[in-house]
Amino acid sequence: MKQHEIDGILRDMLRQDVAEAMPGLVGFEEKIVLELGERRPRLRISDWLRQLLAPTRGGRIGQIGVVGATAAACLIIGFFAASQLGLHTGTPGIRLTPSRTMDGRQEVLFVLPALDASDVSIVGNFNAWEPTSLSDEDHDGIWTASIPLPPGRYEYAFVIDGRWWGQDPLADEYVQSYGEYSSVRYVGGGDGA
Amino acid sequence: MIRRARMLIAGMAIAFLICPGASVLSQTSISDFEQTLSEICISDSGRCIAAIELGLAQTEFPSSEVLQFLDRLAVADTTILEKEALLLNIVIALEEGLPVDGLVTKGLEGFARGIALAEIQISLHQRLTLLTETRDLLYAKGIFSVAPGTPQSVPTALPTPRFNLLVNHVSDTIADYLDGGGSPFEGQTLYQEVRFRLLSLEGVTLLAEDVDLVVRRIEPADLTRVALSAVT
Repeated sequence: MKQHEIDGILRDMLRQDVAEAMPGLVGFEEKIVLELGERRPRLRISDWLRQLLAPTRGGRIGQIGVVGATAAACLIIGFFAASQLGLHTGTPGIRLTPSRTMDGRQEVLFVLPALDASDVSIVGNFNAWEPTSLSDEDHDGIWTASIPLPPGRYEYAFVIDGRWWGQDPLADEYVQSYGEYSSVRYVGGGDGA
Repeated sequence: MIRRARMLIAGMAIAFLICPGASVLSQTSISDFEQTLSEICISDSGRCIAAIELGLAQTEFPSSEVLQFLDRLAVADTTILEKEALLLNIVIALEEGLPVDGLVTKGLEGFARGIALAEIQISLHQRLTLLTETRDLLYAKGIFSVAPGTPQSVPTALPTPRFNLLVNHVSDTIADYLDGGGSPFEGQTLYQEVRFRLLSLEGVTLLAEDVDLVVRRIEPADLTRVALSAVT
């Protein structure tokens, strides 16, 4: 069989998979928009510090410097404590992590419509292929997880009730390993994922 | 006021000292590896430890992933011989100064998918071959690696972490291409795949000048040769 014929077959199979998943995608965009809208405005720490430490008149400089230094110390301690406690992993209901964390990570949203699933997780080279749970708090069948990742290329698959599913419609590309598909997401160096 | 300021600044200094100190404490140490290797019961643990020590000296060594890999290997239900064969891929890569990220993550994926160790071994061995051949290809094209901090004698001598990233991504692309059923003889397709991968990571994890260097110097026929080395 020639390469273009195989490509054609694969394309048809992918198209069929997407077509089958389409009913679950109804209202999908609204769901994401709502999810993003619910997030609180993020405090731009760098801007705030810059503003605070900006040169001002006479004696205020020293005072502001002290306040700034204290704030920086508090931030460092807070950031360190949060990272040690694992609060940056996007635990459902906890929104401690900004879209871009201080160590350059970006919060990447993984979304999967799985209407009848009772347990959905994600495995990939960012978590050593150990499951990270997705949540569906409103039980509408749309499962989400927000994972902070440094810029790079990530291979992953969803695990739906114990079954691997490596064809995320939102993936940038797909690869095959061990005869199975994995999805690939590129997390950019710029703003947003 | 001045006294309070001094105290606050001292507090900040302590915070700075505490953070890296605690990070170091949470890092993986060689004794963790020794313990896990003893559980695997391999015949030449000295060689493995020496290789891991080489890895730990690198800034980009994925120590926690390697340890997870060893943990999975320790509990795998198979013969010691098979475990040793699998581990040897990582050991050789470390001895050769090659990046092991791709090997380790592919191994972990295999474990997670419940793939038989013999099949994981085939995959890792192929990827190790590709890493070696890709490194040699870059050398042949005049792209070298130098230890970080060493004066750059020629513009194509890249610091080791940058060089290893290129080796990793080029070889990983070829491996993915072959895993996906691609033919090594389709050099042009293979070249486009490599080019796409490198350009996708330009400005993300790779420097534009490094990507440009590789894309300009390698040719489809070179990649065919590298791919063939892994399948023959």
